[in-house]
Amino acid sequence: MLKYTDYSIVFSEIPDEVTLAINLSNCPNKCKGCHSPWLMDDIGEELTNSALSNLIQKYEDEITCICFMGGDIDPKRVNELAQYIHDDWNQINVGWYSGKSENPDCISVKNFQYIKLGGYKEHLGGLNSPQTNQRLYKCLPNGEKVDITFKFQKKQL
Amino acid sequence: MSSSEIQIIKRNGKAEHFSIEKIKNAIRKAFLAAGSFATDEELTSILGRVHISSYMNVEEIQNQVEVALMAEKYYSVAKRYMLYRQQHSEDRDELDKLSFLIDYCNAENPATGSKFDANANVEQKNIATLIGELPKKNFIRLNRRLLTDRLKEMYGKEFSDKYLDLLNHHFIYKNDETSLANYCASITMYPWLLNGTSSIGGNSKAPTNLKSFCGGFVNMVFMVSSMLSGACATPEFLMYMNYFIGLEFGKDYYLKVDDVVDLSIRKRTLDKVICDYFEQIVYSINQPTGARNFQAVFWNIAYYDKFYFESLFGEFRFPDGSQPDWNSLSWLQKRFMKWFNKERTKTVLTFPVETMALLSENGDVKDKEYGDFTAEMYAEGHSFFTYMSDNADSLSSCCRLRNEIQDNGFSYTLGAGGVSTGSKSVLTINLNRCIQFANKRGMHYLTFLEEVVDLVHKVQLGYNENLKMLQEKGMLPLFDAGYINLNRQYMTIGVNGLVEAAEFLGIKINDNPKYAAFVQEVLGLIETYNKKYRDKNILFNCEMIPAENVGVKHAKWDREDGYIVTRDCYNSYFYAVEDNCLNILDKIRMHGEKYIKHLTGGSALHLNLEEHLNQPQYRQILKVAAKEGCNYFTFNIPNTICNECGHIDKRHLKECPNCHSKNVDYLTRIIGYMKRISNFSAARQNEAAQRYYENATVKEDCLKED
Repeated sequence: MLKYTDYSIVFSEIPDEVTLAINLSNCPNKCKGCHSPWLMDDIGEELTNSALSNLIQKYEDEITCICFMGGDIDPKRVNELAQYIHDDWNQINVGWYSGKSENPDCISVKNFQYIKLGGYKEHLGGLNSPQTNQRLYKCLPNGEKVDITFKFQKKQL
Repeated sequence: MSSSEIQIIKRNGKAEHFSIEKIKNAIRKAFLAAGSFATDEELTSILGRVHISSYMNVEEIQNQVEVALMAEKYYSVAKRYMLYRQQHSEDRDELDKLSFLIDYCNAENPATGSKFDANANVEQKNIATLIGELPKKNFIRLNRRLLTDRLKEMYGKEFSDKYLDLLNHHFIYKNDETSLANYCASITMYPWLLNGTSSIGGNSKAPTNLKSFCGGFVNMVFMVSSMLSGACATPEFLMYMNYFIGLEFGKDYYLKVDDVVDLSIRKRTLDKVICDYFEQIVYSINQPTGARNFQAVFWNIAYYDKFYFESLFGEFRFPDGSQPDWNSLSWLQKRFMKWFNKERTKTVLTFPVETMALLSENGDVKDKEYGDFTAEMYAEGHSFFTYMSDNADSLSSCCRLRNEIQDNGFSYTLGAGGVSTGSKSVLTINLNRCIQFANKRGMHYLTFLEEVVDLVHKVQLGYNENLKMLQEKGMLPLFDAGYINLNRQYMTIGVNGLVEAAEFLGIKINDNPKYAAFVQEVLGLIETYNKKYRDKNILFNCEMIPAENVGVKHAKWDREDGYIVTRDCYNSYFYAVEDNCLNILDKIRMHGEKYIKHLTGGSALHLNLEEHLNQPQYRQILKVAAKEGCNYFTFNIPNTICNECGHIDKRHLKECPNCHSKNVDYLTRIIGYMKRISNFSAARQNEAAQRYYENATVKEDCLKED
């Protein structure tokens, strides 16, 4: 089971997309220096298919992507939800922010357009740090994953 | 009680021990001035008629002395006493001005120092800005007198008194009362193209080439602005410039901009020549202006997509019979935007305020090339407004107002009819006070509001009559010469305190049916009256005013008078600026069709973002705006300006990327204009600090809604 605490519309997490980000709780990774430590607690409401569907319906014509923030406690369920989105909202991309360093077997890459891997390591920094251990991959239809972490490096305007 | 135990109230509001000697002295002086001498006996009989009780104020006591002198039949002494009082009151007025002068000199910045009508469009306080501040109070009195005299004549004294009563009790606010001129205008430059500035009192002939166009344009904008209190929009600026470039370098000039066209040793390319003209015009117009109290003129321009251009200028002919050319104009529009964006990293350039006019269709921008380009410019950090409409039936004439276009036709004397519009005057309703007042009286707020709405329309008709009188006396050459058409200008009804009024009624400020119904009900009422009072010579619209300083004043006055006031500056948007639970899509929706449909004069949505989005993201936001019917918006990302080395960066940074100093200031919009935050008035700086800049990353403290 997965629980969610809140959602928001974000632009920085997934480049080029207008993303509905859903914060999932009960995170097992316990990274030191986590920017949302309360998400380690078992809080919020269950993210059922209908709860997800209600959220999406609020913004379905306006967003281009939905991203699950966390959910490592039950990756199988993340995969199911991604599948559910693809079946009903084919035009919306799906992303997943995981703290694991490897893709769990229960995750089918074809259900996702973006997957972020890697726990937060304080001394290496987040995705916009040049030394980061974290990686954001773009998942291609053929199952191939392309590393697009470079897109987080701030460019001069 | 002995007289020394009695406390009286001085003019400054403070209590003081009463002193009979002070009154005696004043009476003795009046006797001396009348050429006689007051005996103790006379003093006693006069003072016998004066009754002092505790907490009486000085004016009341002096009134009693006047009456006592008359009753004792010392008429010439009474006259002297009255003259003496009058003289002192004049002295006090001067003292007030003096102390204002000192306060202004000591104020942090010009906007905080300004007593009336503060705005941040002045960089520095100096002797010229002080000269502009001093007569403001007199202008307010004069304008009020002009208007109330007219109202008495049209509707009687009772009505005029009612207007003053609502004004003095802050149910309504007369905007720009410190200026005699009508408010803002989007002008047609055709009369200038035909006759130069002679018809508006200037001495320059019609422009004949690129050089005379660029030089003459600056002069013309200065002249027009000096006869307006607000903005001057020149929606045809680039179209005319394009015409003159074409005359000089051929209609296909945009295909050969890399050619060297300057035979001087500088060997400039055509592109460089054009950008040098941009520089001449933009830098000249951004100069502080003597005639406008050291403010720069408020200059606005517009860009068009292909479809907007065709419907506004499809019939247009230059005096030589030629038509404007879209391909070269499109190149010039894009070139100007790119140049201006880059130039803004060198200097703080406030003007022109730019608006991109895009036609929408089926939930997207119709001209895809311009949709992509608009998103590209936002992604490159350029700050400008977008105006979107599904029909080219309206135009934004300044950074806040949209106006419906009355006539898209073309005439050989006035040019394109569509561009001539604007607002003659704004009169604002303080909705929060009106609604709370009605509630206190046990009245339905719509009943009271309807009275106020009806009154403001009548007052605006009075203002219009005064304007017509000025025109008859030849005081408004902009109208006579055809730059502005009096009948195509709007009388604007402003609203302020809408969010606060809804909050008072217990309505949640987010996209919900109750809030939408409230907004439609209130704005719908105003629109009903706009239509009721409209005829072929007068048009009304309704605008949510930017409340540059009115929002601060209303909050202060309402709080002082015991109304419920939850913030220090009333909102200029349909959402609360400090609410961090509304995301960018919610805000667009709250400025969408459902909310703005009765807001005929518009309100620009300012989307405050912490970081820039990239091109595909801005492009998607344009689609969202088209879908939601959010027709007027911009993005604010505070730009960083280093106080040490002067470096300007389009990003919101804590440290200067150039010299690594942490002594940085930020540029953001105060209403329409990009300004340093430190130039805002103190109260506005506070509001800016509370603005929620969407972080673009996941938020922490927003619990999910129902």
